[in-house]
Amino acid sequence: MKNPGLANACAAMLRRDLTLAWRRRGDIAMPVLYALIVTMLFPFALGPEDSLLQRIAGGVILVTILLSMLLALDALFSSDIEDGSLEQLVLAPQPLALMLGMKILAHWITTALPLIVATPLLAAMLHLPAAVIPVLLLALLLATPLLSLLGAVLVALTAGTRRSGMLLALMLLPLCVPAVIFAAGAVAAAQQGLPWLAPIVWLAAALVLAVALAPLACAAALRIALDA
Amino acid sequence: MSVQALQSFFAMGGYAVYVWPAYAVFFIVLIADTCSPIFRRRRLLRELNARVARQSARQGQASDKTSPTQTTP
Amino acid sequence: MSNWIPLWLHKLSSPPTFYRFAGTLRPWMMAFALLLGAIGLYGGLVLAPPDYQQGDAYRIIFIHVPSAWMSMFIYGVMGVSAFIALVWRIKLAEVVAMESAPIGAAFTFITLVTGSLWGKPMWGTWWTWDARLTSELVLLFLYLGVIGLYHAFEDRRQGARAAAFLAIIGIINVPIVHYSVTWWNTLHQGSTVNIFGHSKIAWDMLWPLLTVTLATKFYYAASLFRRARTDLLALESGKEWVRQIAAREGKR
Repeated sequence: MKNPGLANACAAMLRRDLTLAWRRRGDIAMPVLYALIVTMLFPFALGPEDSLLQRIAGGVILVTILLSMLLALDALFSSDIEDGSLEQLVLAPQPLALMLGMKILAHWITTALPLIVATPLLAAMLHLPAAVIPVLLLALLLATPLLSLLGAVLVALTAGTRRSGMLLALMLLPLCVPAVIFAAGAVAAAQQGLPWLAPIVWLAAALVLAVALAPLACAAALRIALDA
Repeated sequence: MSVQALQSFFAMGGYAVYVWPAYAVFFIVLIADTCSPIFRRRRLLRELNARVARQSARQGQASDKTSPTQTTP
Repeated sequence: MSNWIPLWLHKLSSPPTFYRFAGTLRPWMMAFALLLGAIGLYGGLVLAPPDYQQGDAYRIIFIHVPSAWMSMFIYGVMGVSAFIALVWRIKLAEVVAMESAPIGAAFTFITLVTGSLWGKPMWGTWWTWDARLTSELVLLFLYLGVIGLYHAFEDRRQGARAAAFLAIIGIINVPIVHYSVTWWNTLHQGSTVNIFGHSKIAWDMLWPLLTVTLATKFYYAASLFRRARTDLLALESGKEWVRQIAAREGKR
């Protein structure tokens, strides 16, 4: 009877987090609005020439989405720490890594998925050729969970501190370099008509590794940060 | 060592602008790295001594209060 | 018979013992560092002949390369002691890991600045997005992240453990960054630079380089001992042995 219990717990965790996010729908829209505004600023800063915007579109969208996710990442555990439910989770009999994995999944669904849905709009604002958009979406589908997982480990580490916003950026952004390189590499290759599968496969490999390891690391980090 | 040799040494074959700032950065950063724990240690010991002094003063005060010879609050 | 080493190590990891041990060793380390540094830099700046390609500008190598080696060596030391601190919860390992971070950051900063001062006359640019340079920059950010996380916690030991965890994540990340930037460079065909154009380095240039490298190793030991001693005083400030030291040295 252990496995059904575990599956139930996972489902309950996911449902709880999604319900909580749905009750505060305004917060879900915030990262998307932020990404739209940042993307809007680029043509004003660089000039409206189509060729220039097309050349930078892939990279700009990737970095914008990375920053929007960073903005939302801080809230991953903060409300649960405030009301003490995170400590309950640590004490619960279910494996902490699995429960945190569910929380990360819920967080990815509520912050990254809306951003991915809005990506064609961002791409259109920067005149990215329509043929490249599927590759961009694929790269984002692989890169954003990677960022969520990596970010969750670092958020867990800062869980016991008060000022964590800038610190989180300082810790996360250097770790993101490979993800940005491969995602942007795939988009750039697709734009130049070159084979783009290799970087996508690298991203997928990194994602598989992160899915396996990051929840465990996140659990260990949370135990360190909450162990007062 | 003649003045000319010294001059050519400091000129670094025309690369003095790059070589000497590099060495200056090396030494300034390492000296700063050496000095910061010295200052920190000094501050720490001062605080520690102050705390010990406060504690012993408070203990002295506490024994004063229990004694009947206390005059003013 | 052979268990005196673990016994000795166990004794050494007690803060007052390490405090005394580091205190007696530190002046010797600093003396070796200064002596070897003076010999090495004299050999490098005065005795070594100018390079046939780079002229005298190559003399930056005598501080740049030792600093670069130290930036990685110290990260290794920090990673190993972070691992020990997390697994066995030894206070001294936490102190060594956390006090290594500022020294490592200092050497990484020196590497970046001297590298760009060397790059300007040689490649005509202060900075290029080469794998080696980018990894070094990421290394600096990692060091700063570790320092920042350590100081973000109110409880010092908790902060040390969290930052130790970050240091271990960084050890995995630096090679990944290095290889991904190498791959990125082949994609962009950008400014690929070859620092070590001639791999055979003359003995006249090699011995000062190795001497300065040794000097930086001794410097690291001396600086780490000084920092660890200070940190142990702060961590153990309630203990009797620290009060004795404070009383003794406060009077001077």
